[in-house]
Amino acid sequence: MNINLILGIFILKGWDWVGREKSPLAALSWRSPSSSVAPCRALHTTISRRGLDEFFDLPENWGETTVKSGAPWTAKQLRTKSNEDLHKLWYVLLKEKNLLLTLEQEAKRQRVPMSSPERIRKVERSMIRLETVVNERESALRMLQTGQEKARPGAWRRDKFGHVYWYRFKEYAIPWYMNRRYKRKSFFTPKFVQPHIRLRLEKYLRQRARKTSLERRTQSKLKEKFPHANISAS
Amino acid sequence: MRLTALLSMAARVVIPKDYRFGTNRPWTAAAKRLNPPGKKRRKVFVEPMAAEDWSVLRGDTVEILAGKDKGKQGKVIQVFRHRNWVMLEGLNTHHRYIGKGVDSRGTYIASEAPILLRDVALIDPSDRKPADVQWKFTEEGERVRVSLRTGRIIPKPVVQRRDGIVQEQWKDGPKDTSPEDTLAKTYVPSLKTLEEEVMETLGIQENRRHRRSY
Repeated sequence: MNINLILGIFILKGWDWVGREKSPLAALSWRSPSSSVAPCRALHTTISRRGLDEFFDLPENWGETTVKSGAPWTAKQLRTKSNEDLHKLWYVLLKEKNLLLTLEQEAKRQRVPMSSPERIRKVERSMIRLETVVNERESALRMLQTGQEKARPGAWRRDKFGHVYWYRFKEYAIPWYMNRRYKRKSFFTPKFVQPHIRLRLEKYLRQRARKTSLERRTQSKLKEKFPHANISAS
Repeated sequence: MRLTALLSMAARVVIPKDYRFGTNRPWTAAAKRLNPPGKKRRKVFVEPMAAEDWSVLRGDTVEILAGKDKGKQGKVIQVFRHRNWVMLEGLNTHHRYIGKGVDSRGTYIASEAPILLRDVALIDPSDRKPADVQWKFTEEGERVRVSLRTGRIIPKPVVQRRDGIVQEQWKDGPKDTSPEDTLAKTYVPSLKTLEEEVMETLGIQENRRHRRSY
């Protein structure tokens, strides 16, 4: 690995999770208050059990105006991680986000500016990218095994105003013919809406024509003012 | 959800199609004062230029070729690509009062005005005179700016990051993951979903089956 690459990368997130024990059951036997009821599992799967301290930052950062933090995780880096690591990282990020949101709320209560609010955005972005990577993997597997592109089934339906849209199905315990609230929805366009649809179409076509003519006028004006420049640049 | 959407609508600034963008960001008070809703201004025509032909970068030293401060050299602080503007440090200034109160006139400061890219030229480092610049490729394949008069390469300016981080002097904090750990590849492709793999690792057995749903 190129040394410049290592020095150039500074990354955020992770309480040293890679070095932790991967088997939670070992930790379970000697740390947690074991109840004798058989299928009960403790919530924690790591060694660190600081309780409510996990909602607060390290004591040396209390009262600072700026706290140093690295860059967020990129999707490219997350794609190289296994599912187990991603699962653990999600909860690490979640706990960090809770910590920062507690800090933000307390800063609002004390009427003091929050130290380094960009940390929340970084964590949010990391979490969004993680979710994207997980969805990508799941989608690839689903396409391979079933050929379905979407996880949630749906259909093209027409609403009362004449718009055709992708209606995503919802999961119910009873069939549709027994579902009173669903039956009150109407997926068809009544006949008296036809004139409104025609007017809406005319409006849309007029807007489109206006836009094209505006573009044509601006291009001709630009050519007139700047004859030497090549016009098709953006 | 409706309430948060409403609140975010109030917070987000709506800019009309014919908005005239100035040096102030649209959500600032100054921009709102200059462009109140309902104000229509004459349309500005910006000379069309390809994005890859843009040669002036932030931190460059350039010389002004036309205008009040003709012949002076200055450092570029800000670049507005969509209007072909550059803001130089302390050049092309006009003076105005800031923080005016009821009784006080406020502070008299010099504020810079933007200059069009056409009126500015990059300086050749060998003879410190303005020169025409083109993007060319070196033998290694690197894309660099070359002055047409002397043929010297103009290096990319080193600018300080806005958050004040210097990459060479960075030290990871307690919550940062080290570069080795981040780049370590642990992904093994398999035909299992994340849920199945995690359940296997944690020893969770799901014996319940899905009931028929509609």
